[in-house]
Amino acid sequence: MSLPPLEAEEALHHADELPETVSEDAIHGRSPMQIAFERLRHDKVAIVSAAVVLFFILVAIFAPLICKAFGVELRAYPGSEIIDINTTFGKVGPPDHGFTWDHPLGVEKGTGNDLLAEWVYGCRTSLMVASIATILSTVIGILVGLVGGFSYGWLDRGLTFVVDLFLSFPFILGALTLSPIIYSHWAGDADKLGVAQFWALIGVLTLFTWMPLARLIRGEVFSLREREFIMAARVIGVPTRRILFRELLPNLIAPIVIFFSLSLPLLVTAEAGFAFLGIGLTERPSWGQTINKAVPYFDQFPLWLWAPVLGVMALVLALNLLGDSVRDSFDPKTRR
Amino acid sequence: MRLRSLLAATSVAAVAVVAACGGGSDESSSSSGGFQAGGGSGDILNADAQAPAPPIEGAQKGGTVKVWGTSGLQTFHPTEAYFTNTTSILSNLVTRSLTQYRYNPDKKAMELVPDLATDLGQHNSDFTEWTFTIRDGIKWQDGSDMTMDDLVRGIKASFDNFADGAFPNGATYSKDYFKGGTWKGPYTDPSGDCNCISVDGRDITIKMARPFPDMPYWGSFPAMGPLPKAADSGDPSAYALNPWSTGPYKFKSFDPGTSRLTLVRNEFWDPNTDPGRHDYPDEWDFDVDRGDPTVLDRTLLEDQGDAQTALSYDNIQQSSRDQAEGSGRLLTGPSPCTIFWYTDTRKPEWQNVEVRKALGTAWNYDDEKLAAGQAVGLTSIPGTMIMPPGLPGRKNPPFDVLGNGGQGTGDPQKAKQMLQDAGALNTQVTFLFDASDPTWVDRKNVIVKALQAAGFDPQPRAVPNADKFQELMQDPDAPINLRYLGWCSDWPSGSSWFGPVFSTDGCCNYSYLSLPKIDQKIKDIESLPAEEQAPKWGDLDQEIMTDYYPVLIDYYTADAMLHGSKIGGMNNDEVRGMPTLGDIWIKQ
Repeated sequence: MSLPPLEAEEALHHADELPETVSEDAIHGRSPMQIAFERLRHDKVAIVSAAVVLFFILVAIFAPLICKAFGVELRAYPGSEIIDINTTFGKVGPPDHGFTWDHPLGVEKGTGNDLLAEWVYGCRTSLMVASIATILSTVIGILVGLVGGFSYGWLDRGLTFVVDLFLSFPFILGALTLSPIIYSHWAGDADKLGVAQFWALIGVLTLFTWMPLARLIRGEVFSLREREFIMAARVIGVPTRRILFRELLPNLIAPIVIFFSLSLPLLVTAEAGFAFLGIGLTERPSWGQTINKAVPYFDQFPLWLWAPVLGVMALVLALNLLGDSVRDSFDPKTRR
Repeated sequence: MRLRSLLAATSVAAVAVVAACGGGSDESSSSSGGFQAGGGSGDILNADAQAPAPPIEGAQKGGTVKVWGTSGLQTFHPTEAYFTNTTSILSNLVTRSLTQYRYNPDKKAMELVPDLATDLGQHNSDFTEWTFTIRDGIKWQDGSDMTMDDLVRGIKASFDNFADGAFPNGATYSKDYFKGGTWKGPYTDPSGDCNCISVDGRDITIKMARPFPDMPYWGSFPAMGPLPKAADSGDPSAYALNPWSTGPYKFKSFDPGTSRLTLVRNEFWDPNTDPGRHDYPDEWDFDVDRGDPTVLDRTLLEDQGDAQTALSYDNIQQSSRDQAEGSGRLLTGPSPCTIFWYTDTRKPEWQNVEVRKALGTAWNYDDEKLAAGQAVGLTSIPGTMIMPPGLPGRKNPPFDVLGNGGQGTGDPQKAKQMLQDAGALNTQVTFLFDASDPTWVDRKNVIVKALQAAGFDPQPRAVPNADKFQELMQDPDAPINLRYLGWCSDWPSGSSWFGPVFSTDGCCNYSYLSLPKIDQKIKDIESLPAEEQAPKWGDLDQEIMTDYYPVLIDYYTADAMLHGSKIGGMNNDEVRGMPTLGDIWIKQ
């Protein structure tokens, strides 16, 4: 999965000697990023996946506009207006009535909330939580990995210990423990509770996902730091910070991008899973919550469950395939 | 009596129903679900019922009845049994007591009839001395005679019903009303005595410390029945595994771990001594810890094999409602609980009764119930009186202080005007919700929306789980001013409502209403004869709601239970919120 350091370094420093994959006309320097993008552009799976991901990103960004366009409102709680008191399903739309543009996915049992609005805003929550947590865990992973790998002695040992500590801590248990603590802290104010839940969830997801990247980076740095160009930089007195971020980091782009693209889908599922377990967000819509509510009524109202499940599935599948393609495109060993 | 299960019944999972049992009189229990919310007249007592019990038309003997549920079983010690399911099983099938309830098919309601006693007891003028004459020919399951000593032993054991006693979860009426209530009972204090019971031939006389007109109702509890000498030796919890029978069935096997119980015929029970019980089936097979309630509903609805001779005393799940109502095998009827939102009248923001009424006016009753997933009109009935349908003394038609019938989506304009007039705009309303339960989150959102529209300042507080929710709700110092709790009567009389819930020293006065005037009225009515009490309780109900409005009536609970196609005789026992187990028979 990770980029063999030797080739990476060559790719960077002897780019003009790179053969074949570069287009035939004018030989000119290309960074590994450029090469990777060139490959990605020719990868059909990658293009389709990227389109799907882009679709979800657009849905997330323009959630209010989409709701407006369909004429639906988020969490209006029209309850008694729209719910049939005998079935407690909607008076319009599925499962008991035909399709209606007023509520394209139907309305939620009991509350009468529009399910399209729930879905669209659920997508927003999923992507926001997953991407913020991924960015944070990537940054932490890079910092810890770089510092640990480049420092000799106690600092490296200390950081390695911290990484091992977090790796050994059970993820779900941690989340289960943290949520009541958060509730007791912010219980009194629903608005603050919503914000606290949101950031606490991101915090928990970040806290338990940065370690693999840190280990990966540390390993890469271990081998890179013995290479001539780093040694040369040290000999001529380049400051450590400059070595870390200007000499080492560009060589680590590949593992970072790959980690990023593969941990996004992981966190989307984790967010949904937490919501399903009742320890996720409650103050804003999320796919996991919808799934949680819809499961008992699958017999009567399957669409209620299908919408968020297909949403999670499509998003995660697309992100995974895109991640695979990104990894392949960064790997000089794959020649396609 | 406590609700059969606080955790398993999801529709009321979030309600801490503090004590339960008791119920009504002349309600019809049709399967249309539309029983009336009228008032009972208090004619529930039938002292003249003769043994044997009148046969049920068309009933056949034989077969095994299966009873399925999901809430498990609590203790079967007759002295401690205080849950609707265990009390009902013991009283209807296994143990006999001074009095009992039986289903009256003409009135379509339960009535209190004699059991071991030949009548419903004789009392002196101020209800401080009750005498019951005990029938001859009552035998234990081993064929030996039940003696008066056995009966005295059983009644005295109920003095051990207190927190640190042998039976911490039992009902405490003996200690509350009988003379010598400070005695800690025969297990905790073997050398002591209440000196309240005397026996003369077949007459047993109980002396009270204060007037107790409701003694015949308390007499129907398994705790007011005999205990054999064998029950004295050894641990009461061992006796609870196999309580000796005086009724038509006896324990064959009982495994508390899996909540499996098998009852077989007790050949020493003589129907000619019993005005209430029947013994149509040969055997009873209880399997009441079956896990997923949705699966249970489905099994009963499919009605294949074993399910044809099975019944459930759990309420159906909302998700099964449509099918259940169409099956023709759904039993519905009232049950004896009211679910309240108690305003904490100690708090300065609730001092003005108009503000409390504004809360009831602003409340979005319909949406709240829908969001909570309740089957409105089936297991949740809107109301305006404290006393639920079926309780004697309930006004017919019920009064309606706010004029909204306890339903609708609330009237924010009117409520806002009321708040403005009271100078109390932006009154803080703090209440709890269980953040781990998505229906509670929705419910909270509905409440917040309705209260905000009416000019209140709703402040929901999140709790992480149902246990914490229950705990905080009953904590008088919790930082909330609106509590969500229910109350169920132990017997169909206002005396089991107003004393505990609305008097200053009531056990479960969660509105913390403390008015000497009301306290005095409650005491006065409690000492009247049972039949005179009923209308007075109705008046008091109206007075409390009109002048003080300490509680917002959220809804009344109701029963909706499924049975197989070969089950006959299943009616609603509105006193306990259970099926009438004693009348069940199998269609061969």
